[in-house]
Amino acid sequence: MLNPQFAASSGGISSLGVNGQSFLFNLITFAIVLLILRRWVFPKLVKTLEDRRKTLEESLVQARQTEEALANAEVKAEELLTKARTQADAALAEARKQAEVIIAKGETEAGERARRIIAEAEARLDIERQRLHQQLRRELAALVVTATEKVLRKKLDEKTDRELIEKSLKELA
Amino acid sequence: MIRTSRRQLARYGADQLLAGIPANTIARHLGAVLVESKKTNQAELLLSDIAWELERRGKVSNVDITTATPLTDQLRRELSAFIKKSVSVEGTALHELIDKEVIGGIRIDTASRSWDKTIARELTEIREAF
Repeated sequence: MLNPQFAASSGGISSLGVNGQSFLFNLITFAIVLLILRRWVFPKLVKTLEDRRKTLEESLVQARQTEEALANAEVKAEELLTKARTQADAALAEARKQAEVIIAKGETEAGERARRIIAEAEARLDIERQRLHQQLRRELAALVVTATEKVLRKKLDEKTDRELIEKSLKELA
Repeated sequence: MIRTSRRQLARYGADQLLAGIPANTIARHLGAVLVESKKTNQAELLLSDIAWELERRGKVSNVDITTATPLTDQLRRELSAFIKKSVSVEGTALHELIDKEVIGGIRIDTASRSWDKTIARELTEIREAF
């Protein structure tokens, strides 16, 4: 197809061992391919690459942001934890303090109650003691009277009785 | 039905006795009244009322004497004198009762008054004092 004359006339290029026609053909082919590529392939490729780059960039940014957020979250969590610990310590201290107050109050009340119970028990014991004392006196008196009665029944003769009657009449008169 | 109070009957009985009417006659009259008025269960009370009436009038005192040993005549005389003075009566009718439960001493009961100087009473008072 290519003109052999043209090939033969290119003395300069052919001296380099390059076939002019082929070279032209290849050049044109290359240009067509390049054109095609530039027109249809490269934009898409570039766009795709660009999209990918953007995606990667966005991912990187997001990753960075996520990392930052994580760091912030960790800091916040640490702060919250510290705050919670502080609050817990404070609540514990308050609870201990209140417990001590309640225990002290309870002890005072228990002591008062114990004193009252003892006082009441002592009062009851006193009453019981007096009652028993009275009962003992009565029983003793009854025993003495019974003994006296028994003795008098045995020992009181008629003469003594008459003297007693006479004495009673004198007293009544 | 005769409606007469016991007090009226007692006054009647006392009047009759002081008038010298025999006691059994008076008893019959009063008994009839009691039967008629269906108050036979008040016979004892009527007798007490008559005794009280006689004593109130200063005529005679019916005296119940309770002792553990029998009285001597001397004691009876002293008693009579004492009753006459205390109750202001002209005469006394002593009724003696021997009761060993009094242990010793004397109890005197008239229609209007009582004196208890028995040993049993003294011992009871001692018991009650405690």
